[in-house]
Amino acid sequence: MNVAKYNLSSVRASYGKTLAVAIDDLSIAAGELHVLTGPNGSGKSTLLGILAFLNKQDKGEIRFDGVPVNWTRKECALLRQRVTLLHQHPYLFSGSVAGNVAFGLAARGIGKEQARNVIRESLEKVGLAGFESRTARKLSGGESRRVALARALACKPEVLLLDEPVANVDRASAALFESLVVSLASDGMTVIISSHDERLGARLGARMIYLEDGKLGCAPEPLPSVVSTRREEGTHANS
Amino acid sequence: MKQLSALDFVKYRGVLVTCALALVCSVCFAQARLKMSTTTSTDNSGLLNVLLPPFEKQCNCKVDVIAVGTGKALKLGEQGDVDVVLVHARALEDKFVANGFGVNRRDVMYNDFVVIGPANDPADLRHAANAADAFRRIAAKHDLFISRGDDSGTEQKEKEIWSAARIAPSGSWYRSVGQGMGEVITMATELRGYALADRGTYNAFRHGKTDLVILFDGSRNFTRPGKPMPKLTVAQVKALTGANGLFNPYGVIAVNPKRFPYVRYDLAMKFIAYITGPVGQRIIANYQVQGDSVFFTFKGK
Amino acid sequence: MGFIADSFRMAVSLIVAGDADVISAVITSLSVAIWSVLFASLAGVPAGVAIALGKFPMRGAVRLLLNSLMAMPTVVIGLLVYGFLSRQGPLGSLGLLFTPKAIIIGQSILAAPVIANYTLGAIQGADERILPTARTLGASNSQSLMLLVREVRFGLVAAIIAGFGRVVSEVGIAMMLGGNIRMYTRTMTTAIALETSKGEFAFGLALGLVLIVVSLAVNLVLTVAQESHRA
Repeated sequence: MNVAKYNLSSVRASYGKTLAVAIDDLSIAAGELHVLTGPNGSGKSTLLGILAFLNKQDKGEIRFDGVPVNWTRKECALLRQRVTLLHQHPYLFSGSVAGNVAFGLAARGIGKEQARNVIRESLEKVGLAGFESRTARKLSGGESRRVALARALACKPEVLLLDEPVANVDRASAALFESLVVSLASDGMTVIISSHDERLGARLGARMIYLEDGKLGCAPEPLPSVVSTRREEGTHANS
Repeated sequence: MKQLSALDFVKYRGVLVTCALALVCSVCFAQARLKMSTTTSTDNSGLLNVLLPPFEKQCNCKVDVIAVGTGKALKLGEQGDVDVVLVHARALEDKFVANGFGVNRRDVMYNDFVVIGPANDPADLRHAANAADAFRRIAAKHDLFISRGDDSGTEQKEKEIWSAARIAPSGSWYRSVGQGMGEVITMATELRGYALADRGTYNAFRHGKTDLVILFDGSRNFTRPGKPMPKLTVAQVKALTGANGLFNPYGVIAVNPKRFPYVRYDLAMKFIAYITGPVGQRIIANYQVQGDSVFFTFKGK
Repeated sequence: MGFIADSFRMAVSLIVAGDADVISAVITSLSVAIWSVLFASLAGVPAGVAIALGKFPMRGAVRLLLNSLMAMPTVVIGLLVYGFLSRQGPLGSLGLLFTPKAIIIGQSILAAPVIANYTLGAIQGADERILPTARTLGASNSQSLMLLVREVRFGLVAAIIAGFGRVVSEVGIAMMLGGNIRMYTRTMTTAIALETSKGEFAFGLALGLVLIVVSLAVNLVLTVAQESHRA
């Protein structure tokens, strides 16, 4: 049994004025592939934002690798270098593909020479070999997403969070993506994918985390991590 | 893409900064600078453009001319913001020295004021006996009169004449505009009104910028037609200033170094010696605007 | 009306003849404007970023103040700075009054709110994903902010162009703090004011046309440099 990467206790978080996440007890295992699923508006993106250490929870405690997170600036900066979130609609910076992919590396103080290799590897992994000097903003939708993924992978994070990565993506790209995340997890990365596609988890053989307004979800297999949320107000966008 | 995104901006500005540095350096002078405040009419006459360069060469310095109204010119001296003052308002000059702001006042030159107005002369100034009478005629008919209203030497003179005429001008015919001589002449031209102007500025406007004519001037009483105005002594001119006449003597005063130790008193005294000395005086006497002399040197200097 | 037609001819001959007074005025205008925009940006850009992103109690009031400062008349700024730089004032011993440096001080104060406000707008209009993306990729706060500034740089160039326009066209500050000293602190705008006061309307307008041409040239340089920087 792997050590838990994350432990959440009595966590409450809002999105705007509404309570979006109410998790009493959740453990996320390290080095495993997880699928976070639930209908739109169920709080998936808010939860991912917390796990990425971008937004602080209102109440409750989070442990990362067993260590409680105090949310100091310094601590968050260090944690964010270990956890990377890929947004559903990723923002590419102005400039070249290589420039985008290299962003996380410069932040980690990795030199130009080394960076060049990492960029090449990352682009190859997502099937965009040779795209280094292309203008990032001029790519197609699918290519843009892959650049964003390469950019996240280049950071070599311990935890990779993906918000709806295969929604509205063609079958071939989705298949490519799915095999990629499986191999990442098998290499020891903790991968959490949020998706409203309930069968994704089964296809990938992932652990399931169900998020649903006021409903407990059960996973068929493997071992479930069951989570409940309380519904407060009505709708809010869960981008 | 580099991480230090602001670096682009900085590099970009680097070029601008270098250019700016070059430009500013080209503008800055390392020489000694004498700051002089004077009146706009003096500056506008163009006399200083002819009078200053020989002095600047001689003393290897630059004279910074700050041309403002008489009131402000003296105020700058009172604050120690300039080193020397060149104005034409005797009463104010005397006060300036008496209050300890200036030292070594010297008479430099004089010019005169003229009353200008539309050629058809509705107030009939051609038959006025003196300046006060001229103003009385304008006020009696409520003819339009444009006043400087800006504390200038010209306005001082105007006030003296009104008080000699025992009139306190007010009403819609009397417009106090708070602007310089040129603007006042332009306005009077547009509105077909009267104004008191210094001869120098009027001459500069005479050809093309105004169709107003001189309807009364102070030299009437002692120039013969066709003969140039005789040289007058300081005392004679003084007698014909203020309410008595339209003459306008200039004084130059050094700002008091005891009060403001940092002023360039040495350069100021050099300048005063220059403009009251033979070289300066000759330049002043020979200076002409549109073929007419506008400044006169005193007899006996 | 006649003077308008005359002025076009005069403007051309001024530009061609290279009159020393005019060249000096152009150089003075440009150099004080460039320095002023530089200093104003050093203050205004960080201020704009801070107000846009900061969460502090009086934020609404600060933004209101910033908007009002943009409408400050130049003579008022000139008067205030004059009070400081005059020999009677606290900074009098520096002897800055009636020098180009004094104009730069005044114009920097004039341009800073303009640049801050435009920067504020550019940051607020920026894609809200920029900062979270930078952060999640491991950038520190300062690195993320620098990236944000880089991503909105076209808005910042607009800020600089606006600031430049504001200072190169003003006359109140240059007149009051510079003294319109020939070949030293006479700018294009104070030269125009002088010529107008002397009734030389055609010449004044001709100088105005020269000023417009110079401004066009500067803006062209800024725009072209920015375009070539794209991608």
